Amino acid sequence: MKSKAFSQKILKILPAIVWTIILVGAWEIGATVVANHKRTPENILPHLYQIIAAIFSIKKVANGMTATQIVLTSAQATLLRALLGFALGALLGFVFALIMKMSGVVEKLIFPYLMLIQLIPVLGLAPIVLSITGDINKSRVLIAAILSFYPVATNTLAGFKSVEKEKYDLMYIYAAKKWMLYSKVLIPASIPYFFTGLKIAAPMAVTASILVDTLQGDGGLGCMLSQSLKHAMSIYVFWLIVLFSAFVGVFSGKVMGWLEMLVSPWKRTVNAKKKK
Amino acid sequence: MSEEKREVEIKIRELGVTFRDNSGNDVQALTGVNLEIYKGEFIALLGPSGCGKTTLLRSVADLQQPTTGDIHIQGQTPKEIRLQQKFGFVFQQPVLLDWRKVKKNIELPMEIMGYSKEERSKRADEMLEMVGLKEFANHYPRQLSGGMQQRANIARAFSLDPYVLLMDEPFSALDEFTKEKLYEDLLKAWRATNKTILFVTHNIQEAVFLSDRVCVLSPHPGRLSAVVDIDLPRPRTLEVKDTPHFTELVTKVRNSFEGGSV
Ligand SMILES: Nc1ncnc2c1ncn2[C@@H]1O[C@H](COP(=O)(O)OP(=O)(O)O)[C@@H](O)[C@H]1O
Ligand SMILES: [Mg+2]
Repeated sequence: MKSKAFSQKILKILPAIVWTIILVGAWEIGATVVANHKRTPENILPHLYQIIAAIFSIKKVANGMTATQIVLTSAQATLLRALLGFALGALLGFVFALIMKMSGVVEKLIFPYLMLIQLIPVLGLAPIVLSITGDINKSRVLIAAILSFYPVATNTLAGFKSVEKEKYDLMYIYAAKKWMLYSKVLIPASIPYFFTGLKIAAPMAVTASILVDTLQGDGGLGCMLSQSLKHAMSIYVFWLIVLFSAFVGVFSGKVMGWLEMLVSPWKRTVNAKKKK
Repeated sequence: MSEEKREVEIKIRELGVTFRDNSGNDVQALTGVNLEIYKGEFIALLGPSGCGKTTLLRSVADLQQPTTGDIHIQGQTPKEIRLQQKFGFVFQQPVLLDWRKVKKNIELPMEIMGYSKEERSKRADEMLEMVGLKEFANHYPRQLSGGMQQRANIARAFSLDPYVLLMDEPFSALDEFTKEKLYEDLLKAWRATNKTILFVTHNIQEAVFLSDRVCVLSPHPGRLSAVVDIDLPRPRTLEVKDTPHFTELVTKVRNSFEGGSV
């Protein structure tokens, strides 16, 4: 039994391992080819070990800071804005889903247009928001919020709609008030869906934040990204930011998953049972 | 059973329910149902699927408005009884809330009623004991088997001390072994609480084994076509199923379907 469980675990992570090997392999082959043909290969595709070495390098790259210090300092501003926007968007998304659930009229009026938000590219949205708010930092937060809003709103609404008729009947039989139906059945039932929305929204908020940073210079990952590309400092700052952003994007989704396990103990038990 | 002084609990008079289906045609789910149910009686509503059993049960529970006729429970309308939270309803599916532990699920109706925390907990413990789920109080529904989930469902329905317990094919999704165990537990709970039970089923044996009277419904249009008294002695154990009288009653019920056997 035990070895079976073990082999199942291996089977589960096997694709991840295979993909990692393939990606690292492809990267290194590319880097070797580039190194043989270009004069400054690190501008196009450095070896992975060079990037990793850059993380730990103590060489001052600009403003008396190492590459890693630069990345982390500028990340602070960006991630804070992403987090603020994400929280705002998630909150509004949940509230809107609730309002749409409570009022069919509102749903019919709003829901079809929600999708439009999703269709506007971030870089098209940014100047519009900037001209409305007139403040780059507000716009950055707002854009992260707008992008987070849609997946949270639609998923939460789907959660409300997933509640079966029998649950309504049950509450009706016991003459439950409307607010009880919401607080005891509909809202708890929507929580897993809400988290699905959060898991999609979190990396989007991070990406949007970085992208919008590039619009105007005053710190932030995106700014550093474009500066490093213009060779104002070591090119490894660029690679570190790329790596760091990818990591934060994936990590932010994971954090939502952990948060969900924290607030929904019943999911934990179900998962534990499935794993066996 | 002394016929003279039995108190009528539910009075169904000329009940008819008509639905309009998707293509705009009227479907008579029920027509001309007349039935008097005594206090503390165990009534089985038996019939093939589509004959209006669920509709009848839902009408009693105020989940469905009758098109014609009326229903009274202790002289009051279903709505009045519902607003006093005096119904217990057991659905075919357990309808438990996944995010609540078993005990909390059983406390739900009491929460709605505004019972105090201590009272809820005490009563829920009694109910858990009654259905044999004491050790599973702190499990989540998904950690339980189908049979155990249905026990929790039954415990919840009993928790508010209802006048009437309405059960819609509660055991039809369970295996034979689990079912037989639950029959005995249900009868035990019924005896201990003396509730009036309306039990919907499409299983003839089940109807005869459990009930005092089997109400036979026939489809197209749904109507009450016979009422068969089940005079098997109580308390009943599963051995009763092996007696000739049980077999006779099953045959009698089967023959009472309009148009012969089903
Ligand atoms: N809400 C509804 N709308 C339209 N037709 C319905 C509805 N509910 C039940 N019916 C119809 O009424 C008839 C009786 O249904 P039901 O009471 O569920 O039967 P049973 O529980 O005996 O299987 C069926 O023909 C069914 O299709
Ligand atoms: Mg039915």
